[in-house]
Amino acid sequence: MLPAAREPAAGDSWGIIACLCTVLWHLPAVPALNRTGDPGPGPSIQKTYDLTRYLEHQLRTLAGTYLNYLGPPFNEPDFNPPRLGAETLPRATVNLEVWRSLNDKLRLTQNYEAYSHLLCHLRGLNRQAAAAELRRSLAHFCTSLQGLLGSIAGVMAALGYPLPQPLPGAEPAWAPGPAHSDFLQKMDDFWLLKELQTWLWRSAKDFNRLKKKMQPPAAAVTLHLEAHGF
Amino acid sequence: MDAASCLRRRSPRVAGESVKMTSNFRWFLPTFTLLCLLSRVSGQRKGAPRDLKCTTNNLRAWDCSWKAPSGAGRSALYEVCIENRSPPCYRSGKTNTKIPTLLPGDHEITINPLHDSGSSLSRFTLNEKDVSFIPDPPEILDLSADFPASTLHLKWTDRGSVFPHHSRVIWEIKVLRKDSMEVVKVVTHNTTLNGVDTVHHWSWASDMPLECATHSVGLRCYVDDPHFSGRKEWSDWSPLKNVSWSTDSPGKVFPQDKVILVGSDITFCCVTQEKVSSAQIGYAKCPLIHLDGENVAIRIHNISVSEDSGTNVVFTTKENIYGTVIFAGYPPDIPQKLNCETVDLRGIICTWDPGRPTALVGPRNTSYTLSESFSGKYVKFKRAEALINESYQLLFQILPDQELYNFTLTAHNPLGQSQARILVNVTERVYPRTPSSIKVKDINATAVTLSWHLPGNFAKIKLLCQVEINKMNSVQELRNVTIAGADGSRYLAAVGRLHPYTVYTFRVRCATEPFWKWSRWSDEKQYLTTEAIPSKGPDTWREWRSDGKNLIIYWKPLPVSEANGKILFYNVSCSSDEKTQSFSEIPDPQHKAEMQLDKNDYIISVVAKNSAGASPPSKIASMEIPNDDLRTEQAVGTGRGILLTWGHDPNATCDYVVKWCNASQAEPCLMDWRKVPANSTEAVIESDQFRPGVRYHFFLYGCRNQGYQLLRSVIGYIEELAPIVAPNFTVEDTSADSILVKWEDIPVEELRGFLRGYLFYFEKGERDTSKMRGLESGRPDVKVKNITDTSQKTLRIADLQGRTSYHLVLRAYTSGGLGPGKSMFVVTKENSVGLIIAILIPVAVAVLVGVVTSILCYRKREWIKETFYPDIPNPENCKALQFQKGICEGNSGLKTLEMNPCTPNNVEVLETRTAVPKIEDTEIVSPVAERPEESSPEADPESQVVVSYCPPVVEEEVPNPGADEGGGASQVIYIDVQSMYQPQARPEEELETDPAAGAGAAAGYKPQMHLPVTPAAEDAAAEDGADKSAGYRPQASVRAWNLASPDSPRSTDSNSEAVSFGSPCSINSRQFLIPPKDEDSPKSGGGGWSFTNFFQNKPND
Repeated sequence: MLPAAREPAAGDSWGIIACLCTVLWHLPAVPALNRTGDPGPGPSIQKTYDLTRYLEHQLRTLAGTYLNYLGPPFNEPDFNPPRLGAETLPRATVNLEVWRSLNDKLRLTQNYEAYSHLLCHLRGLNRQAAAAELRRSLAHFCTSLQGLLGSIAGVMAALGYPLPQPLPGAEPAWAPGPAHSDFLQKMDDFWLLKELQTWLWRSAKDFNRLKKKMQPPAAAVTLHLEAHGF
Repeated sequence: MDAASCLRRRSPRVAGESVKMTSNFRWFLPTFTLLCLLSRVSGQRKGAPRDLKCTTNNLRAWDCSWKAPSGAGRSALYEVCIENRSPPCYRSGKTNTKIPTLLPGDHEITINPLHDSGSSLSRFTLNEKDVSFIPDPPEILDLSADFPASTLHLKWTDRGSVFPHHSRVIWEIKVLRKDSMEVVKVVTHNTTLNGVDTVHHWSWASDMPLECATHSVGLRCYVDDPHFSGRKEWSDWSPLKNVSWSTDSPGKVFPQDKVILVGSDITFCCVTQEKVSSAQIGYAKCPLIHLDGENVAIRIHNISVSEDSGTNVVFTTKENIYGTVIFAGYPPDIPQKLNCETVDLRGIICTWDPGRPTALVGPRNTSYTLSESFSGKYVKFKRAEALINESYQLLFQILPDQELYNFTLTAHNPLGQSQARILVNVTERVYPRTPSSIKVKDINATAVTLSWHLPGNFAKIKLLCQVEINKMNSVQELRNVTIAGADGSRYLAAVGRLHPYTVYTFRVRCATEPFWKWSRWSDEKQYLTTEAIPSKGPDTWREWRSDGKNLIIYWKPLPVSEANGKILFYNVSCSSDEKTQSFSEIPDPQHKAEMQLDKNDYIISVVAKNSAGASPPSKIASMEIPNDDLRTEQAVGTGRGILLTWGHDPNATCDYVVKWCNASQAEPCLMDWRKVPANSTEAVIESDQFRPGVRYHFFLYGCRNQGYQLLRSVIGYIEELAPIVAPNFTVEDTSADSILVKWEDIPVEELRGFLRGYLFYFEKGERDTSKMRGLESGRPDVKVKNITDTSQKTLRIADLQGRTSYHLVLRAYTSGGLGPGKSMFVVTKENSVGLIIAILIPVAVAVLVGVVTSILCYRKREWIKETFYPDIPNPENCKALQFQKGICEGNSGLKTLEMNPCTPNNVEVLETRTAVPKIEDTEIVSPVAERPEESSPEADPESQVVVSYCPPVVEEEVPNPGADEGGGASQVIYIDVQSMYQPQARPEEELETDPAAGAGAAAGYKPQMHLPVTPAAEDAAAEDGADKSAGYRPQASVRAWNLASPDSPRSTDSNSEAVSFGSPCSINSRQFLIPPKDEDSPKSGGGGWSFTNFFQNKPND
């Protein structure tokens, strides 16, 4: 025997409609649905991460062009020279345990400092390049890298970390002295591009890690409805 | 002993001849003398000094030595005395002594050991020729290395103060490389000793970088003193000096960052402590050349041009990579197309083309220096990269008070330099900038002031400018203006001879004097000049209305060139002696005015006004002088216009006027008019309005006594065309031999030319006969009448045939051609007399014949009756047929009996014993397919005897399969139609002659038309198998009739006959028993004749 559906009384249906209207009326006031507040560092970390990936892609093209400009053997795929004279470049490679143990502030600071250095070196590279087209590409990449630096600074500011002190000199001693031969200069250029690539990989990891860390737990949005009279 | 005698013997001779010796022989002589001396000395007795030998290293003193006598002690003292010298003797404690240089010639020298009692005195004869000149080894002051340039610099002194004379010195320098002292270079170097110590330099560029290995240099000399007659020898080698490179860096490759010429050979080396495994330049691997230690080198021949960043040379060790970059390029080409000019006389811009690329960029790129020799100033040009598709240029500031500049452009790069020169007078090389800011200002309606800005310091020179004036629909005009130059100011030029109220476009370009180049044209500036009063009054004409009371004044709008502005309105006034009437301010689009005038003489004046003022009035008299002897003439034009001529009228007081209108136009007749100068006697009237084929009326007015008189009236066409319609004609009258045709005029509009005549065509012909087409095509039967009298409107065509249809066509023609024709058919009337005669004669003849016949018939009526209608006997009286009376009575209605009373019929007796299947039909109802064996005639036991009687009362029976089964006797016989006229025995004959046919016939039922059993018939049967199998349709096949059927009795009889009447006839009815298409033919029991039957017969065939 199926229970017969009870016909709701006319007064009941009006009550449901009124309830729905009230809910709709209060929806704009629910804080969880409002995006007007401070979103936190999450979006800017995501943006920085995206920018890092974009720069990785951009660098791939630029490095190909630049290594061809340097000529063989620099453009040979298995060319792996010792790191001569490139000691002023910040090293991206780090022990995995050390990298894991870095706190957010240190992580961001290292990134910021590294890119500050690399940007200066890259500008020096741009000045030496003899091909106009290459100079344009380098200048474009420098602008992008400057943007990444700004993004990192933004993330640090959002997290309340102070920016590292500017370098003692306006630019590192990149300008080659008279003893710095063209070949060593090319080696430095090679290493600069290599370190830059490694740093971009590392930064992508850094920001991915940071992003995950900053992501709030999947919060269930509970609508607290003040059901007046229901 | 022999030696002593030799010396004694030869010496005086030698001494005597020595003076005459040649220089070559001089060398030989001392040697020989020395040998003799030594022989003599050695030949002396034991105990005396011997082997006196003298050398010199500076030609100032001789260093003589001898061998001590045997047994002489260490403390021996020798007294050396020289004959005829002061001091004559020298004492020496050693076996050598220095003696001053002796004069040429033999000198006797005695050496006496003083404290040696056992020794005796020795005498020697000494000559300069016996002395050897061996300079001291030279001393290297310094050996330095320029490592970047791989060059050794050697410095030494010649110690010239030591030698007494000026003499030539030959230096021999040797360069050794590596620890193994490989000689890499030996070179001689000539200098002169000049009495003072001089330091000499020698440089050597190594093909291998000096860093690669230790380099050593040694030096010796040979002094060629012309005053010394003795033997001259090379000095000993100086001590070697070394140059080597030391560094604490782990490894380096040399040369570093070197720029070399494309195509050179070059050696690279790697200075390292590690073992080098490979070396490469660019992509190419190179064989290693081992140097000292682990150092290696590679040698590159004919190096190719480098890329922008240079060519990399890399040495690879186990741990490291060492390398260098080499830049192979070219020295700068001589700058091409060097040109210097100025745009503003403030700076000189020199441009050039660098020529061949150097392949060197960045810091090694070519730098240019533009130097001016008079002022000593220069400017430099340096770019990091080579310019592509861009001119090289340098700006040199012009110096005050200097006009002549001598420029030298030097191109320089690490591989060399080149130069180009140019001498310019700057005032002659001005290429002004483009004039800008063009402005126009009015002076008056026909002149403007043009001003423009031209930057530059032209204060000392003149400018030549060109103004281009463009007017709409007009050729452009160029005007040259020479202006005194100024320093950067605006320039003005007045431009006159312009038209008022006209849009002009101006642009300017400038050059300087003397001319070098025009500047580019400035931007265009458009300008409308101001209005001026109209230069002429409008062209006027007047027309009287037909009522003679109203006069219409016409005038033409002024052309733009005369209106000088926008015409606002016209003022018209007419004045006579008595009164003046005027119309003011008739707005522009209206170009006529009508006024009511009496018959007084009026002068009408028209004035056009624009914003600048009124034009001079155009005056025209209203009076029209009548002309009585006027007649209208005809004229035809040339296609574009029409020529009017007239006689010269010396009394003409004003211009002639030709007016014209469309002849068919209503009054007032005025399309346009034209004024012709009074001295003209002809005018070609042309107008865009003229159309060919339209009649125009031209009126020529002369001017006389202040009035116009119509002189000529001409109607004409610009070009005549053919009429477009046919003349409308009717037949007025028709007789038996003539037709009167009448036609109407063609309207002028449709005539399209002056009518020249008509063409009338006629010929015999009916309407709708195709013969009528092309009637006017000149066929001989077409008659044509050409009517050239255009006033003629009727035509009678005579000599026609009566009662005949004629085709008439009438066409009009002009000089332009023949118009279309109108055609008509007319039948001429009959000739009435002939007609009457033609009717009356036959009637009369008929009546006459009738009367004669009637009379003859009446007279011969008995004979006629006998002949044509005899008495008919009563058949009942016929005795001959009485034995058959019963039968005859029963069939009294039969016609045959009537037609041939009492005539015995033929009796046909058919032999019943003879099996003639063709005339039997016993099997008609027995389907062959069911009982084929029964179809055999032998199997048929019952054969009938059919006897036909006269007349045989045969009732035609339709064979009934059911009734006839069982083989009952048939009352019907079937014969061929033709057999009626053939002997009746034919079937027997046939059987004899054609047994095959008989066999075939015996196969079964053979209808009246047996289908042929021939291959052709077989095919037909096969084709129509479906139909055949459906049932019996033997007679349906027409083809079967035409084929000679073997079953047909006639088929074998007359082979020549193609047609066989196969359908049998009833013997008494003589009708075809089975018509060719008899749909209702009796059914043969469902397949009595069938395709299977056909097959059944085939084996018998």
